Amino acid sequence: MAEDREILREIWEGRLPVCFTLATEEVSTPIAPDPFYLMVPRLTYFPLVTDKVRRHFVRCVVPEKHDNEMWLEFEKCPLKWHYPIGLLYDLLVTNSELPWQLTVHFDKYPDNKLLKCPSKDVVESHLMHSLKEADALKHKNHIMALMQERDHKQLWLGLLHDRFDQFWSANRKLMEHSAEDGFRYIPFRLYAPQFTSKPFMQYLVKSIENEKRLTLEDLLQRANLNFESKGPFQVVIHGIDLPLETPLQWISEHLSYPDNFLHLCIRYSSP
Amino acid sequence: MDNNPVTETLPDSSNAEDNEPNVEMPSHTDESLPAILSSAPATPKADNKTPKITVVLCPVGGAPIMRQRKWEVDCTQTIGFIASFIRKKLTLQKSDSLFFYVNQSFAPSLDQSVQNLFDCFGSDGKLILAYCRTQAWG
Repeated sequence: MAEDREILREIWEGRLPVCFTLATEEVSTPIAPDPFYLMVPRLTYFPLVTDKVRRHFVRCVVPEKHDNEMWLEFEKCPLKWHYPIGLLYDLLVTNSELPWQLTVHFDKYPDNKLLKCPSKDVVESHLMHSLKEADALKHKNHIMALMQERDHKQLWLGLLHDRFDQFWSANRKLMEHSAEDGFRYIPFRLYAPQFTSKPFMQYLVKSIENEKRLTLEDLLQRANLNFESKGPFQVVIHGIDLPLETPLQWISEHLSYPDNFLHLCIRYSSP
Repeated sequence: MDNNPVTETLPDSSNAEDNEPNVEMPSHTDESLPAILSSAPATPKADNKTPKITVVLCPVGGAPIMRQRKWEVDCTQTIGFIASFIRKKLTLQKSDSLFFYVNQSFAPSLDQSVQNLFDCFGSDGKLILAYCRTQAWG
């Protein structure tokens, strides 16, 4: 794994330029505020990087809404804060136009479409439970259970403060496995909105089966969906079009999001 | 209550439930249930009935017991749907907290589907969900 450490860093450093604009109907000042530009890490969550965005716009909405929870929208689609930013981009943006144009709202929180996120503690709890779920799949939850509270904090603070070394000092323990066995199951979520009304699919796929190293292609086959039926497609993560022959164990160790899940998007080239 | 992890294990579900009939969970528990937590908008009822998943609800950490523990749930439903169902059954207030755990380890997200959890963590043809009023496994 050592020789591929550079890949972990490259993935960690993935950024997206975002242009935030306050929803026109919420502007209460005579002159609309300027848009706010930010380079955001693909691996993090919006509530962890948008304090500045909030401060920039909150003065331009009516005082009664100052304490409201801020939410973001892309082309009429409210953005789920509990999805990593890179996943939202890979899932929703088809024309790869940059900067990513997002609308900021303080009013009418769409609680029928978004979970509530009153504080960063909620994001921390979401991250921790995702890590536990991933570890339950990989190692029957043994590693997260044996880790000290201090290690859990390293994972959270590493992501919160964008510190690669701090995060990986703890995360490498979660990536451990015996050389011949690999992970028990690969933690992944497959997003194929073209095929199912569920937001994503999740099922059991081993890393190695009958002494064969399973690949991305094996994973797709087990979804029992005819992906080719809708034309040529890509499997995208971190903006990368993954070759189908890539071994799952390698993808899981190198391309998982900080929650230790692979968030894989099925994407068709637009007609 | 404090935040100390509850070490209690799930009650043994093997005996009592084998004789217990499965009851279908109504597909609507609360008309105001947000879309994110309910199943996809029902298409006009065709012949294909939504497959069901057996969910066993186990109280832990002194949570109130429900007389019926084994339920048949539409596979398209979410944890949030089950949460709102239990809240109604136990007449919990909006301000009352309710936590769910799978595998005695992690709390699934409220928008996670019952099918996904069953596919990954189900055993013996059922999904066991622990519920409690205070945080159990951190």
